[in-house]
Amino acid sequence: MLEIKNLHVSLEEEDKQIIKGLDLTINAGEVNAIMGPNGSGKSTLSYVLAGRPGYVVTDGSITYKGQDLLEMEIDERAAAGVFLAFQYPIEIPGVATMQFLKVALNAQRKARGEGEMTTPDFMRLVRGKAEQLNVTTDMLKRPVNVGFSGGEKKRAEILQMAVLEPSLCVLDETDSGLDIDALRVVAEGVNALRSPDRGMLVITHYQRLLDYIVPDRVHVMSDGKIVKSGGKELALELEKDGYAAFAA
Amino acid sequence: MTVTLVKTPAETAYTDAFDPQGALANVRKSAFAQFVETGLPHRRMEDWKWTDLRQLMSSPLPPVSGTIASADTIDALITASPFGEVARARLVFVDGAYDADRSSLPATGDVEFASLGSDDLPEWVSDKLVAGSTDPIAALNLAYMSDGAGLRVKAGSSMDAPIELLFVTTAEQAATYTTRNVIVLEEGASATLIETHIGGTGEYVHNSVTQLHIADNARLDRVKVQEEGLEAIHLSNTDVHLAASVHLKDFTLTIGGRATRQQGFITFAGEHSESHVSGAFLLTGKQHNDTRLVIDHAVPNCLSRELFKCVMDQAARGVFQGKAIVRRDAQKTDGNQSSHALLLSDDAEFDAKPELEIYADDVVCGHGATSGDLDENQMFYLRARGISETEAKSMLIGAFAAEAFDDVESDAIRDVLGGLAEGWLARRKAG
Repeated sequence: MLEIKNLHVSLEEEDKQIIKGLDLTINAGEVNAIMGPNGSGKSTLSYVLAGRPGYVVTDGSITYKGQDLLEMEIDERAAAGVFLAFQYPIEIPGVATMQFLKVALNAQRKARGEGEMTTPDFMRLVRGKAEQLNVTTDMLKRPVNVGFSGGEKKRAEILQMAVLEPSLCVLDETDSGLDIDALRVVAEGVNALRSPDRGMLVITHYQRLLDYIVPDRVHVMSDGKIVKSGGKELALELEKDGYAAFAA
Repeated sequence: MTVTLVKTPAETAYTDAFDPQGALANVRKSAFAQFVETGLPHRRMEDWKWTDLRQLMSSPLPPVSGTIASADTIDALITASPFGEVARARLVFVDGAYDADRSSLPATGDVEFASLGSDDLPEWVSDKLVAGSTDPIAALNLAYMSDGAGLRVKAGSSMDAPIELLFVTTAEQAATYTTRNVIVLEEGASATLIETHIGGTGEYVHNSVTQLHIADNARLDRVKVQEEGLEAIHLSNTDVHLAASVHLKDFTLTIGGRATRQQGFITFAGEHSESHVSGAFLLTGKQHNDTRLVIDHAVPNCLSRELFKCVMDQAARGVFQGKAIVRRDAQKTDGNQSSHALLLSDDAEFDAKPELEIYADDVVCGHGATSGDLDENQMFYLRARGISETEAKSMLIGAFAAEAFDDVESDAIRDVLGGLAEGWLARRKAG
């Protein structure tokens, strides 16, 4: 589903290389976890996948479902099924969450040549999924992420993911700022989306999240590269020994 | 050194046409004398430095009232008012004259209406028509005012079904149209008032004054929509007199006009009153909007809020001048003003000039002004959910402007305002 080869990424503003030759393959149906210390380039990887401006790919390639992902616009990637759950979801004052979700879903459907979803069908879809994630009707009426607590923001991200049904889910530090109860709700939401057609990339600093979202593969990232890959037991090893062994 | 300015063709046209008749002749004469002292405001006058009317009004635009347009032209412009479904009563003025046939008076006896074009004005209107404004454009208005709405909402009555004052300028003549409204809310009255300005294509000036006299414990929600023709100059003064424990909400949406100068003068004359004045500009091309507010806290314990959201595309220019005066006795004044500009092009420009004159020591007053482009992070977030760049921009611009009318009480009016903003955005997208 996703193949990253020899990826090199610099910041546009300053001549600083963040990702230095990263290789990673994600197959449909797999949950891949990337763990690594702060500053290892994990979040940069998630932004490059989503197409955030400000990063320059100086070398390497990213192929998604046989297409050159780097050639695609931000919204084309989303319509093709790439979804980034933000570490820090952005507040959009003046745009109600429900309206935002509807515009987003219909924009994606339109880009894929599907018809727009009717308002009653859309309401039913969102209400059902919102209930599973403890997202209240009040939150759906409020402007996107405005006045949401840390936990509410993360639940709202997962709700968006559940409504948009992407093929590739990239979760950037989805556990940060969550207490254990909120973590459980979010993880259940993510697990409900596991499917043989869907690939997931879970980026996290701590092993804790992986107790709830059990990965198929674990990769350790350090100084812009994957330095070790293994099964889910690798996460436990890291929890015990720390990242020191992988420091550059 | 005194510089004597040569009269411009526009000023000469005003002088040549001046021939006041009737009951108001003396009031008009003193008002015109006041106008003549300064003539058309120009850039060497501090408050007018961004809006030089001597230059903007380069040709003679003689004062005219009454229309020469066909019924079809007039009806098409009236239909263009977005409030057709919302207004419960409508007073229509066409090219500076009351059009009784196209108007529908409020059904209730709680509201009294007088056409200011009438020779026989009731005292509650004529009392309020006095020369003495320091503003030359307001003085010119009184000198030439041809018609407008006198409305009196009786003590204790509620007129929450919106009344619309609709000013249609057909632009069939390159002329100046001058209208004035005198709105009186008696004690404990409440009302919702819409003022709509719509114009055809062609050069003209609309000089419009609205006087609001609001008595103790009264409440007014006023919404003004300015969609003058794109070659028009819209000059507007709103004079507000607030007694005690009054609640005023005033919102203006400016979409039309080649050049707009709108001024608001608000005087707090009674304690425990609140005024919330907000506005949004949606400007493009070479449109120019200079908004100036003067809030005079003359008594203690009042609250004033001003919020302006200004969207400027292409080579449009916006100006916001907000002045708050807090007099020595006006303790416990709570005043805050802010203006925010969204510049959608490198050629767009926005100037903000906040002024605070505070003579009391126990007050809370503040001001803020921001100007910038769309937020990159918000753009990325929307696009990362599959929303196209164009659509994401529209959403953010719409949301930015809407903050200024979030406060409008009536859902129906707020929906109309939202629709107008969407219409503007759709035209922008269509290029």
